[in-house]
Amino acid sequence: MSQQALQHGAAPVAIRSAAWYLPEHTLPITDVRTLDETERRTCDGLGIDTVRADDALSSVTLAERAARRALEQAGLDARDLGALVMVESRVQERFLSSEVTRLQHLLGADNATTFSVGGLGCVSITPALLTARGLLAADPALDHVLVVHGSKPAAALRYRHPVTVNGDGGQALLLSRSGRIRVLDIAQLTNGRYWDLFHIDYRDRPTAQWREQCTEPSTYSFRLAMETRNHLSAMLDDLLRRNGIGRGDVAGFVSQNLSAGSFTFLEDSLDIELLPACRENLRQYGHLGPNDVFLNLHTALDRKELAPGDLAVLINVSPVAAWSLLLVGTGSQEDTA
Amino acid sequence: MNDITSQITGFLSAALRRQVEPDDDYFAQGLADSLFALELVTFVESHFGLTVGVEDLDLDSFRTANRITEFVRRKTGAPESGEAHEAHEAYEAHAEGS
Repeated sequence: MSQQALQHGAAPVAIRSAAWYLPEHTLPITDVRTLDETERRTCDGLGIDTVRADDALSSVTLAERAARRALEQAGLDARDLGALVMVESRVQERFLSSEVTRLQHLLGADNATTFSVGGLGCVSITPALLTARGLLAADPALDHVLVVHGSKPAAALRYRHPVTVNGDGGQALLLSRSGRIRVLDIAQLTNGRYWDLFHIDYRDRPTAQWREQCTEPSTYSFRLAMETRNHLSAMLDDLLRRNGIGRGDVAGFVSQNLSAGSFTFLEDSLDIELLPACRENLRQYGHLGPNDVFLNLHTALDRKELAPGDLAVLINVSPVAAWSLLLVGTGSQEDTA
Repeated sequence: MNDITSQITGFLSAALRRQVEPDDDYFAQGLADSLFALELVTFVESHFGLTVGVEDLDLDSFRTANRITEFVRRKTGAPESGEAHEAHEAYEAHAEGS
C-alpha cells in the first residue's frame, strides 16, 4: 500500500482534537423501562449493561460540554472557529428556536459559520464530515470546523424495540486539514423507501407517551437487514478498490453500538471482526447515535487495539435508511499541527 | 414434500429449534430476527448456488419453505423433482471458479 494509492483526490480533513461528555449517572439496563415481557427479554439480551443518563441535561448542554473540552485540548478559542456544525438533535427542546445558534452563543463562537445537518439518524455524522471537508476545501482562510452532537433519546422510553437502548452523551470533533486522525475517504448511500420505518407520533399525545415505533418489524429484520448486507459489502469493496488497498491493509473495523446481535450481523455479513472496543462501549454506554463510531475509535486507540499509522473503517447504518463507511488513518501526535 | 422443500424445512427446523412445516410463516410468528434472516439467505445462496440481490428481497419469497422453494425454482430454473441435488452440484462447480 502506498500513500499515493490512498490519495485519490479527496480534500484533506482530519481530527485535530476530539472530546466526549458522558453524564456521571449510570442507569442499569434492568432499570430501563419496557412495555411488556417480550420487550424485556429482547432488551436484556442486547449486550448492554448500563447507559449514562441525566434527564436534567439537554442535548445542547451535552454538546456544549464536549465542545469546551475539544477546544481546550486543541488550545483553541471558540472565537477562532471558522465553522460550527451541529448534528441535529433527535428532538429539539423547543420548536422554531435554534439549538445550533444557542450553542454558538454559549460557546462564544461568534465568528463561526453556524448551522445544523442531519436527517440520517446515526449516519448524520457523515454529512457533517462531508460538510466540514467541503468548507475546508472551499475556503483557504477557514482552518477549523467544530462538529458537535448531543445524543438524547427522542422518546420517553430509552428502549427502542427490538434494536437498542439510547444513552446520553455529547461529542465534539475539531476538524482541520491535518491532525492525528485523518478521514481519508467517505462513502454514503441512502434509500428513501425506509424513511418512515421507525417513527414517533407526537402531535396527539403527551410527551410521556412518545414512543419509538417500528412500523414493519419484518421489513426491518428481513428486507432492510439483507439490503444492509448487500449494500455494505459493495460499498466496502468499492471503498477499498478506489483507495488502492485490500482488506489486509485495514487494521480494524469499527461499528456503531446497537446490540451484540447487530455486531454479529455485521461481522457475518462482511466477513470482518469488529474491534473489541465496540462491545465494551456498547456494554457501558448503550447507543449514542452519531457519536458511537468515533467514540469507539477513540477507545480502540486508547486500548492500543490500533497503532499509529493504522487504517480503520468506521461503519454506520441507520434505518431511515442510510449506510456510511469512513476510511480513517491514525497518525502520531506529531501529525497534529 | 419435494427435495428442495425438505432441505429448506430441515434448515429452518434446525435454525429455529422447532419443527417447521412447509407453509409455516415464521416471520408472522415473530420467530425471525435479522441474524436469522442473514443465516437463511446465506443458506439459500450457498446451498442452491444463487445470489440474492437487492431486487430479490421480497419478504413474500422467504416467509415460508414453500415460498422459498418457488423462489429457488425461479432463480435456478430447476425442474419439479431432483432439482436440489443438481443445483447444489452447479454451485460447487461455480464455487471452484468454472
